[in-house]
Amino acid sequence: MEPHPITDTYSLEFAFMGEVKAGFPSPAEDVREKLDLVKLLVRHSASTFFFRVDGVSMVDADMDEGDILIVDRAVEPYNDCKAVCFIDGEYTVKRVEIHEDGALLLPCNEHNPKYKPIPVGPDNQFLIWGVVTWVIKKA
Amino acid sequence: MYALADCNNFFASCERVFRPDLNGKPVIVLSNNDGCAVARSNEAKALGIKMGDPYFKIRDIIERNHVAVFSSNFALYGDMSRRVQEVLRSFAPAVEQYSIDESFLDLTGMEHVDFAAFAREVSRACWKYTSIPVSVGVAPTKTLAKIASKLCKQYPKLQGGCYMYRPQDIEKVLRKFPAKDVWGIGHRSVKKLETMGVKTAWDYTQLPETTVRKLFALPGFRTWKELKGISCVEFEDMVEPKQSICVSRSFAHEITTLPELSEQVATFAMSAVAKLRKQGSLAQEITVFAMTNRFKDDAPQTSGGVCVPFPDATADHRTVVLAAVEGCRRLFRPGFGYKKAGVVFTRIVQAADHTRSLFEDQVAAGKEARLSETLDTITRTFGPGAVLFGAQGDGTIRNAREHQSPHYTTLWSDIPGVKVE
Repeated sequence: MEPHPITDTYSLEFAFMGEVKAGFPSPAEDVREKLDLVKLLVRHSASTFFFRVDGVSMVDADMDEGDILIVDRAVEPYNDCKAVCFIDGEYTVKRVEIHEDGALLLPCNEHNPKYKPIPVGPDNQFLIWGVVTWVIKKA
Repeated sequence: MYALADCNNFFASCERVFRPDLNGKPVIVLSNNDGCAVARSNEAKALGIKMGDPYFKIRDIIERNHVAVFSSNFALYGDMSRRVQEVLRSFAPAVEQYSIDESFLDLTGMEHVDFAAFAREVSRACWKYTSIPVSVGVAPTKTLAKIASKLCKQYPKLQGGCYMYRPQDIEKVLRKFPAKDVWGIGHRSVKKLETMGVKTAWDYTQLPETTVRKLFALPGFRTWKELKGISCVEFEDMVEPKQSICVSRSFAHEITTLPELSEQVATFAMSAVAKLRKQGSLAQEITVFAMTNRFKDDAPQTSGGVCVPFPDATADHRTVVLAAVEGCRRLFRPGFGYKKAGVVFTRIVQAADHTRSLFEDQVAAGKEARLSETLDTITRTFGPGAVLFGAQGDGTIRNAREHQSPHYTTLWSDIPGVKVE
């Protein structure tokens, strides 16, 4: 099957737009559907924000420097979710284990032995800013 | 029943969205040019910083109390306002945006709802989705809803939602509510009210109908009825495209030369085109106006405008900038110090309804359209001012924006960073 020459139809339409109001109806008029990546990645546009991963570079890690995190504040934090957290004045992205009396922050890149779990207690200024729903990575 | 959703200290709250470390700390936002305080967090209000206080006068308080200071960041405020709007629209079929930080919700047909819980829930959802604190007042009229929303700010135990409907409750509130703070009572009426001994909103409702009609005309009478619980301020859900678009500004120093004034006017024209294109309209003419500082009695005064019609209705950057510069050239008179200037589009039509002129050069029009679209794309990606027309100069008289936060939500280069460790 030949692909439909959409560009030709457009330029034809364009040339006649103006004085002649009619123009030819495009045969592609009814075929407007396409895959919309934004619809897939952004469920709530009111509560979705983007963050960029800073400062790490590791092979085989879940998250690398420059990756874009899609964060949806509408998602209720759940046990073991990945979330952008704000702890003692800094943003960090962690896996959050929710306990009755607090939380345990686990490194997202669990294979790196350098990073240790951080217990969160009443002495920390802590909040879960939003739950990470997607990670966009450059291949 | 109506609800008013009012964002608390909106600009200051927007600055806190990506800076949770500033929660509980004093924050202020400065006007264009970093001139004066236009938004204050509650903590900043408690320090005695007033709306409109000039920056240089409060520097001392700021330094002593480590107040966080921000220049206006309208890209951020506009986007956060859009987000709050979206949340509100999920709660009511009809929402009317009244200003960047206030919206009315028409709750007609929702009488089965527990409005007290509803108001709290709207506030909670706005906070959860956007991290903007919002006060939601529900009452039988728009004017009363506005008063109810103010109560939320006074009483934190209301949890951001206040439902005010029983006549005895309304009376109790109005007896304490200053008449001058009522929506629709202008500063001119305030003086009249003072001489009549009307102090509270309740006093105002007790004036006889004939007196109100005679002294405060129709708007004052409407407010009077609204306070009595009779709804008469119409609901405007459908925002009509604006029939005129104006961009104007006062200058930090007086402008005395034509090239300098032209640069400014060209820049205003660019912003006005952006607004015009955003609402999908075309303009048939542009008026350029400029005036001297009318508070300077000893200086020579002038003010005036020049209208330049376009060959055909347009929203094209180049055509508009050239017309604006031409208007400026005709308007400018040497020997005056211009303090303020601006541009206005009038005779606006919707692009979709517009029939093109028979004599228009189609090829040239196509080129202009492509140039304008490219400019739109560049501006969207890199921010306003990324590309300038020659007529705009090099932007040397740019506004002071020393303390502006990043465009966290509207520019890819500015999205916040987060560490993984």
